[in-house]
Amino acid sequence: MYRTGRRCPVNMADHNKRDTEGEFFSEVLSPSELFAARSRSHKIPVRGQKDFFPDDSDEQRQRLEQSLNEHWSLISEERVERLGNLVKATWLQSEQIVELQSPAGKFWQTMGFSANGKQNLLPEEALYLMECGNLQVFYQNLPLSIQDGYEKFLSSSTVSLQQYQVFAHLKRLGYVVHRFDPSLEPSSYARQLNLPQSRDRAVKQLKRKRSASPTATSSHTEVQETPTADRMEEDECGRDGEEDKKPPESPLTASAGTAAASSDEGGGRTWWMTDDLGERSDHKPASGRSRWHFSSIPFPDLGSRGSSSSCLVPPDSSLLPGSVAVGVCDIAPWRRRINLREVKMSSKERRREEDKRRRRWDINRDREVRRCRNWAEYRELLARREGRPKGRPAHLWNREVTPLHDPRQPIPTKELLDKLSVIKSTHLLEEASSIKGSDEWRICFNVYQPDTVADFKKSNPGKPYSRMCVCSFDGPVPDLRAIKLLTYQSGDVPVVLAVVDHGDISFYTFKDFHLPTDVFS
Amino acid sequence: MRACSQVQVMDDDFSSRRESPPPPHVVGVSLCDSAPLLWRVEDLRSVRAQGLVGALLGSLPRTPRQNGRLGRPLLLLPEEERLLRERQTAAALPARRQDGGGAELVVQVEQQQEEEQQRSYEEQSILALEDRKSALLRAMTSSHSGGPGSGTGTEASDEALRGRLEDLDRSFTFPQSALAVQLSTARAGLSYCPEARAFLQADWPIREQHDRSWDARYQVFRDLRGRGFYLTSAGKFGGDFLVYPGDPLRFHAHFIAICSSLDESVCVLDVLSAARLGSNVKKTVLLCSPGTDGRILYTSLQWSGMV
Repeated sequence: MYRTGRRCPVNMADHNKRDTEGEFFSEVLSPSELFAARSRSHKIPVRGQKDFFPDDSDEQRQRLEQSLNEHWSLISEERVERLGNLVKATWLQSEQIVELQSPAGKFWQTMGFSANGKQNLLPEEALYLMECGNLQVFYQNLPLSIQDGYEKFLSSSTVSLQQYQVFAHLKRLGYVVHRFDPSLEPSSYARQLNLPQSRDRAVKQLKRKRSASPTATSSHTEVQETPTADRMEEDECGRDGEEDKKPPESPLTASAGTAAASSDEGGGRTWWMTDDLGERSDHKPASGRSRWHFSSIPFPDLGSRGSSSSCLVPPDSSLLPGSVAVGVCDIAPWRRRINLREVKMSSKERRREEDKRRRRWDINRDREVRRCRNWAEYRELLARREGRPKGRPAHLWNREVTPLHDPRQPIPTKELLDKLSVIKSTHLLEEASSIKGSDEWRICFNVYQPDTVADFKKSNPGKPYSRMCVCSFDGPVPDLRAIKLLTYQSGDVPVVLAVVDHGDISFYTFKDFHLPTDVFS
Repeated sequence: MRACSQVQVMDDDFSSRRESPPPPHVVGVSLCDSAPLLWRVEDLRSVRAQGLVGALLGSLPRTPRQNGRLGRPLLLLPEEERLLRERQTAAALPARRQDGGGAELVVQVEQQQEEEQQRSYEEQSILALEDRKSALLRAMTSSHSGGPGSGTGTEASDEALRGRLEDLDRSFTFPQSALAVQLSTARAGLSYCPEARAFLQADWPIREQHDRSWDARYQVFRDLRGRGFYLTSAGKFGGDFLVYPGDPLRFHAHFIAICSSLDESVCVLDVLSAARLGSNVKKTVLLCSPGTDGRILYTSLQWSGMV
């Protein structure tokens, strides 16, 4: 069994023994108690079911007493260790670090750093190891108690009590926790280039000596980040991809367009003449409008029966380019190739044909159509006539503010949705690089997963699992500015907010999220 | 007359007895990074006996690598600290002296420590030797007890046993590395008696912020504690306090107390979210405000559904 040890009770009925200073208090175990501690159990009793309402029953009272007794016996148990299992160290007050005097144990794989030829520990690491019973720290040749450790090692210049709570909580779960040093983080540019980190540890040591703690603006850690070869934010990548796609597409369409246009232009220029076009061909007279004289241009109708001529007259030499000369064309062989048999229609079909011909209105009888000199003008006429029910009504399109999209223009649905998204979606890192750092919101720790402990290398820890920012429920909720700042400082490692509430720690994280779009073009 | 005198005598006895009830224990609060911590077990017990729960922060010595049950120190809520100070049952412990009390004292204490460790070593080596001997005895007697020729062979076995024990005496060494050493949780120091209490009160370091919301919280805390409830912090539940009908070790919390002052306007959305949260964790939300007459006004929120 174990006892809390000797102590002089304060509430003694005998007042005579008291002096004004009070009794000396200590919870020291006797040698026999220390020896007997070897056979202590290492199991904690399981907590039973709780009751809902106190009903003053004996049963409840008994259970409460039992729970309390268990509680006190666990709480009052003192740490007893074999001297051979303890690593000895000293607290260096001026430098605020712990220097090991005997070789480090297994914890050296994930904690501590070397300096001045000695093994050292950061104050929070040392305090945690003290609490685990692995380390005995001396100051002025006297061993420090856990209380001394808390009071000496935790301060605003090292690590605050709340930060230590988070540190210890994670360490007890098995994570590897290191201090975060923003100056050791590769910039996004360096990561993009996949630059190898300089391993000049001597320089880093010096920097560390002079720099301060996570609670001040510059903190120090001994780990170096390898450049992450990963690509940047997914959406950034996606965006780049999209942008890349666009340029190749447009030149294609542009070139196609221009090709078509040029062919049209080149071909049509000699055939169509309007007042707008300044160019004139050699063939047409310079004055005013010229029109086709269709009657003078014979279009041979090889299929009609009425045509009796068996040869084609050569065209006007003015219509031919250069000095091309064409002779008479014999159309007899062509006629032989054409099926000149009359179509045999049934009476019904004949009647239908007549109906069609009767109803069909010859478009050339329309005066306005006759006035159109080219296809463009004809289309304009059509647009004017059919403009009202659909297309581009004048009252909408002839003002400063026009509709978002011309419904007659074809557009893929995705592009239309993009046009409609007046509120553009943004991502967390947008404009984050321009935010200045603040004292209030700061990343304190890098956290590495427990299963990496076996191959963990302090000199090359790799990318952390997450980064911790410690705050409390008493303080303000982080605003968007703070979250952007933290995310930017962290790079592509998620930032977790550890909120401390008098012993309870809750972890929160913000994740960038994109609303899914249903449409894929 | 006789009756009166008897009564008088009794009165005298009574008054003298009333003058000397055992004074309440004064706990020593140590400040770490301006947070009030209790380290000594008797302090924790005394504070629990007054109905104050606090929160344990440290690793449990028996099983340090788990978060289910934690050990000392005990962190006090600011309301708990203030209550203790008002009852004059708390005093600030001085920090460990930087200089150790002077070079001479340091050397003296060092020497004391070394002597104590040496004594402990000697005692422990004796205990270890005894332990080995008894183990040997057990082993030898158990191997001989069931044997067929136990009657005739006892003398010979006794001889052997004695020989083995003597060997052990001669050759046994207790290595220094096997010495069991204590890693103290609380710092050894002075504890305070009531006479020193008043003197120490004045010494309390001023840290807390005196704003109205903090005052409201304290009034509510004191009132609920006075009614016998146990209170802990409720940041996770979106409130100020978790209210237990009995000791939290044995009972579930019934209420989430949210404190505000009477003239503070409350947004309906806040009330809704508090009620929602409360119903999700099956606790009643209590809106508490200190009234003008010194009493506290409580309003409970209950989700009644659509009518």
